[in-house]
Amino acid sequence: MAENDPAEIGVVARAVNLSKVYGSGEAAVTALDDISVDLHRGRLTAIMGPSGSGKSTLMHCMAALDRPSSGRIEIDGVEIGTMKDRALTALRRDRLGFVFQSFNLVPTLTARENITLPVDIAGAKLDQAWFDTVIDTVGLRDRLQHRPSQLSGGQQQRVACARALVSRPAIVFADEPTGNLDSRSSAEILAFLRKSVDDFGQSIVMVTHDATAASYADRVLFLADGRFVDELSNPTAETVLERMKGFELVGRRG
Amino acid sequence: MLRVTLKGMRGHVVRFLLTALAVTLGVAFVAGSFVLRDSMNNTLEDLLSSSTKGVDLIARGTLAGDDTDTGRVPVDLAVADRLAKVDGVQRALPDVQGNAMIVGKDGLVVRNGGAPTFGFPYRANDPAFTMVEGTAPTGPGEVVVERSTLEKSGLAVGATTRAVVGGQARTVRITGEAEFGSSLFGATAILVDETTARAAFAPDGKVYSISVTAAPGVSVDTLRPRVAATLPNGVEVVTAQAVVDETRKQVQQIFGFFTTFLLVFAGISLFVGAFIIVNTFSIVLAQRTRELALLRAVGASRGQIRRMVLGESAIVGLVGSVLGILLGAVLAVGLKAVIKSFIGLDIAGGLPVGAQTVWVSVVVGMLVTITAALLPARRAARVAPVAAMRDDMVAPPASIRRRGIVGAVVFVLSTALLTSQVISKDVNWGLAGLGFALVVIGALIAAPLATRPVIRLVVWPFRRFTGVVGRLAGENALRVPRRTANTASALMIGLTLVAGLGVIASSVKTSISGLVAEQLTADFVLTAGGQSPVPSSVATSVQSIAGVKSVARLGFVPMQVGDEKGNAVASSAAALGDTVKLDVTQGSLATLDQGQVLVNATTAKARGWHVGSPLTATIGSLTGQKLVVGGVFQDSDFLDSSFLVGRDLYAKALRVAQQEDFLVLVKTLPGADVGAVRSQLTDVAKPFVVVSVEDGSEYVNSASSGIDQLLGLIYVLLALAIVIAVLGIINTLALSVVERTREIGLLRAVGLRRRQLAGMITIEAVATALFGAVLGAALGVGLGTAFQHAVRDNITQLTIPWVTIVVVLVASAVVGVVAAVLPTVRAVRLNILRAIATD
Repeated sequence: MAENDPAEIGVVARAVNLSKVYGSGEAAVTALDDISVDLHRGRLTAIMGPSGSGKSTLMHCMAALDRPSSGRIEIDGVEIGTMKDRALTALRRDRLGFVFQSFNLVPTLTARENITLPVDIAGAKLDQAWFDTVIDTVGLRDRLQHRPSQLSGGQQQRVACARALVSRPAIVFADEPTGNLDSRSSAEILAFLRKSVDDFGQSIVMVTHDATAASYADRVLFLADGRFVDELSNPTAETVLERMKGFELVGRRG
Repeated sequence: MLRVTLKGMRGHVVRFLLTALAVTLGVAFVAGSFVLRDSMNNTLEDLLSSSTKGVDLIARGTLAGDDTDTGRVPVDLAVADRLAKVDGVQRALPDVQGNAMIVGKDGLVVRNGGAPTFGFPYRANDPAFTMVEGTAPTGPGEVVVERSTLEKSGLAVGATTRAVVGGQARTVRITGEAEFGSSLFGATAILVDETTARAAFAPDGKVYSISVTAAPGVSVDTLRPRVAATLPNGVEVVTAQAVVDETRKQVQQIFGFFTTFLLVFAGISLFVGAFIIVNTFSIVLAQRTRELALLRAVGASRGQIRRMVLGESAIVGLVGSVLGILLGAVLAVGLKAVIKSFIGLDIAGGLPVGAQTVWVSVVVGMLVTITAALLPARRAARVAPVAAMRDDMVAPPASIRRRGIVGAVVFVLSTALLTSQVISKDVNWGLAGLGFALVVIGALIAAPLATRPVIRLVVWPFRRFTGVVGRLAGENALRVPRRTANTASALMIGLTLVAGLGVIASSVKTSISGLVAEQLTADFVLTAGGQSPVPSSVATSVQSIAGVKSVARLGFVPMQVGDEKGNAVASSAAALGDTVKLDVTQGSLATLDQGQVLVNATTAKARGWHVGSPLTATIGSLTGQKLVVGGVFQDSDFLDSSFLVGRDLYAKALRVAQQEDFLVLVKTLPGADVGAVRSQLTDVAKPFVVVSVEDGSEYVNSASSGIDQLLGLIYVLLALAIVIAVLGIINTLALSVVERTREIGLLRAVGLRRRQLAGMITIEAVATALFGAVLGAALGVGLGTAFQHAVRDNITQLTIPWVTIVVVLVASAVVGVVAAVLPTVRAVRLNILRAIATD
């Protein structure tokens, strides 16, 4: 477990005064309300909150999948707000990694081809040594030639994680990566994510509603109504649950 | 259930219309063919009624042989005078007519493609035409021109130009313009004064028929026996109505062939359209798996689901058919223009959309659509209710094994059948035709089996350049082999036809070329393009040119010996021997000049004839002619005739007006200045405008031009099949983009650029198009070769037009690119977030 000393920890991505409003006038919905956050390099950060809290919206904006209504976003020191689609696409390809809850893989490609997809799209050369390391860490060596339909849910998510890591992105965004998995597969995925942070220094941001998943993180950020309401360092499943209970009471009272 | 059906369709109008469009095009062809046929019949009726206006009876020669091919005995002009004196006859005029053309403002002969160029006598009280302006012609230097002919010529009344009347070239002044009661189907007509007409068209005093008009108050039935009593032997009298009915039957037979030709194309379009409908319904239903499962979960039975889908297809079929009828009328207009420019036939009869056209179109359209939807409907009905709970919306692809086996079996058996027929000496065309059709059908059914190897092959160059984008495109095309094969089927059929006809056409051309090179020993050929005869004065003038050794005038005369029927070639012996390579195996060519007949080896062998054998023949208008075989010659592909006769016999068998040279062959003296002879020949031919002087290779080119024209017509029709092909690819691609929304969202999220996404979809479209094109070209070359082999006696050489095939393959790739535009635009505009979140 690393110290949360601000002086020592680098910032891999930050959002400054981020707002996202859908619709206009009477029907306007504020998904993000002037939110600011620094995401730490080499750490696993979990973002939690009830539905409608804006956690997915925050992640989509920071992952260059959506544009905020106002505010600034920096990835690895570069402001992405003024980038055109071409530059954003290149950013996603080269500097970011993604793991979604489901439909992570292209069904017509083999596991190996799915893993090297961002590299192939860029037309770049694969770092074979790194590739081998990732494959062995995630334990997919004997499944490389299989198509997604021939893999179990847990294996598919492992392929997705491997893909996210293979291009050595600045930051990996994971949106409910264990949402569709049974407890054993979930544990495998979370352990892998943890290991990539510890052993390889990967920065990961994970959106989740599962307290157990959040307990693997170094820091948990709690969102509600588009704002940060709390933060928890070195979480355990119990402390996370307790914090979440607090919100529910606040919600009922307010 | 009806409400669910209708609501479902209203929700997806665009998709529904795209499917209907596939039916529309096929039905348009059917409707267009019928409209065209009805239009032609209307024009024919107009023409028939106006041509016999004011005529009640027709006196004509009796048939010389078994049928109209052998011709009628010619009638003396004098008979007309005799008939005019019969009680109750108001008027009896001989039908004097022949070949006559004028030269237009541009210096070219006024004609429409292959349509005839008529010359008639001007008769003041002739009800067949009315004068629009000007005066009647009074001498050989004056003519009256028919309205549309005059319009085409670019000249006006009062202008002077050249004309060729009955083979005589002269300068004439246009003294008037006449309107015939109806459209002439593209034929041109000029009127000359009676004396000139008789001299030009009936120089021997004989005509084909005499038109008799009854005096007012005298009925046709009363008059007929009176007229018949005055007729000499060999002349009969029939009512004008009977002649009209005869002519109508004959012409409608030709129309019938033409309409059948068009309906075959309609059939092909519908067949191809059916594939597209199957595809579209399959894809749409696959997307609606959840919805269908929900219906089943809620209690709808399999039968109800099936009926719902079939009900949708019926509505699609109905809408498509109605649109098709409208489009068919438009198509008919287009076809008329195409026919006019290629063949010269001008069809005026409006755009009649009769009841038969409407109900046939609707029935056919709905039948095709419902039949095409049967298989997808069955699949839809089999969706399990539990699929409503599952997250994935793509149904697993059905096994292609069964279809593949059926297709492969059909293909292999029909190939065997076809091969057995084409290699035999005596081809059974019924079986061969069946073989051709089944090979294509078998290939269509078995096509999914070929998707993997062919698509991989076709995509390989793209993969080299675009890496994973190419790979993704290729794999997408292979995802559902059945679907890819169905989509490509339209292009496959189109290319089979193009390649097959291309092989046949180029083989014909090389064969003709080989033939002429081998068998034509003449130095020059004078021809009027095969559409008219060479005027006789040309041949006589040519004979006196210095340096000319022989001039062979080749004419045709129908001849029948027993049941051996055909056209005999007439020529003088010496001239023929100098200009055409003939291998006379028995007897001598010189016997032609003695009134004897030469027979080709095949016929001689079949009939057991040899030198000296007696024949009893019907030749032209002569019956019961006792002839003797003077020689036997090796079959000549150039002359292409069983019999050769001499000029004297020819002149006896036909009226002067019927004696026409179709080719004039000229041989120069050894050592003569060929160039000088040629320019002199050209000088002789020039006044006649249509006659051209050609050497061997030029003759080959002009002989092949007819094929090129026919091919052009067919390619225009094929272009429409290609349009269906493009629509099919667009349809499938658009629907599959929708189907892959989530995947596209993922790819974009992971960093695929818009340009790369566009490239992926375009390559997929090109791969699909090329798949169909490659299979079609291979099939077409194979079938074309088979056909050539079957007729190897006539088309002696096989040539494969590789350049044409490569061009067409490239064009198919372009088709793919064009078809990909709309789906690509849709795909790159997908909002990534919404795509990933798609339910």
